[in-house]
Formats: sequence, structure tokens, C-alpha cells
Amino acid sequence: MIWAELCIELSVALMAGAVVMIAIMAGDAGDSSQADKKALALLRPWLSPEQAQQYDSRKHFEVIGSDTGTRYRIRHGYMMNIDQLDSAGNKVCAWCLVPVGNLAAGDCMLAQKIALETFESKALAVANRGC
Amino acid sequence: MATQVVMDHTGDSRHRFDPADAAAVAEAEERFKMLTGFGFTAAKRLSEGKSEVLKSFDPTAEETLFIPRLKGG
Repeated sequence: MIWAELCIELSVALMAGAVVMIAIMAGDAGDSSQADKKALALLRPWLSPEQAQQYDSRKHFEVIGSDTGTRYRIRHGYMMNIDQLDSAGNKVCAWCLVPVGNLAAGDCMLAQKIALETFESKALAVANRGC
Repeated sequence: MATQVVMDHTGDSRHRFDPADAAAVAEAEERFKMLTGFGFTAAKRLSEGKSEVLKSFDPTAEETLFIPRLKGG
């Protein structure tokens, strides 16, 4: 009898725990989605009209490096989303450069754009290169 | 009103201040120094998608963006 009561209490406790976990995860997803929207809204006015058009149609935009004049394509994403391009527009290699702090994609892309367009060499000095 | 926009995990946090209010400007300058001291890059938006990195507080900037320190992923 005692075992049956203990089993019931344990089941109730486990179910309550599961409900709390689901609620927490749903809340996180909501916050994350809100952060994504805010970050994309922040990015938009910093893009040139051409970059905005590229992003709207292909989910990426191109920037020109401030020090070397190199062309880069920043794809929607967080990591390894920067392609270095040659003069014909072919991918030469990829770069990973992220701001610390678990930021939304829009924030990451804006940070990457400003870094490459204003302090390219300094930014690439801390970035990881992959091909 | 001028705005300081700080990137964070919520998207961003905004701090608005009146450039004509000396106390508010001093507070904004203090925030600028604190954030850049922590490694944030401050930038202001120019026209046509261009931007400029700010090495010192610019009270005339309508919007100053603070980007956390960058690292390789």
C-alpha cells in the first residue's frame, strides 16, 4: 500500500517536473524568437539599399573590406557564415567571426558587417579561417 | 533624443537621453566609457549603409551602437 502511494506521488512529481520543463523551454523559444526579430529590425537600417535588396532576395549581402578591398558575402547565420569572394564572385574561403554573448543572427551579421567595413584586418586577426 | 543601443541576448537594450540635458549626457558618456572599457566597439551610422567606429563619446550622434568583443568561432 505504501509502495503504491509512493509510486503515485513519484509519478505526480515527475509529471509536474515535465510540465515545468516544457513551460521553461517554451518561454526560451519565445524569447529567442523575439530576440531574432529585434536583431533583424536593428540590422535593417544599417544596410545600404543594395545590401538590403540582396538580403531580402537571397538571405545574404556583400560587404567590401576596409583595408584590402576584398569582397565578402555575409550569409544569414551565426557562425562560419562569412564567405571571402574572388573577383569573379567565387568563394575562396570562409571566416568565423562572432561577437561574444550568444547573440541573435541579425546582431551577429551587423557586427560582422561593421567589423569588415571599418576594421577588417583587426577583425580577421581574431577570426578563424576555414576553406 | 539620442539613443545608445547595446547588443545583447535579447536583441538589444536601448538607453535614450536628451543631448540638451547635461546630466543625461554625462551619464551617457559614462556608459560609453564603461562599455568600451569592457571591450565593446562603439559605432555610429552614416548614410547609405556606411558606419564609423567611435573612439570617444560623440554627444551629437543620434544613435550609437555597441557591439560586444569579437572572437573566432
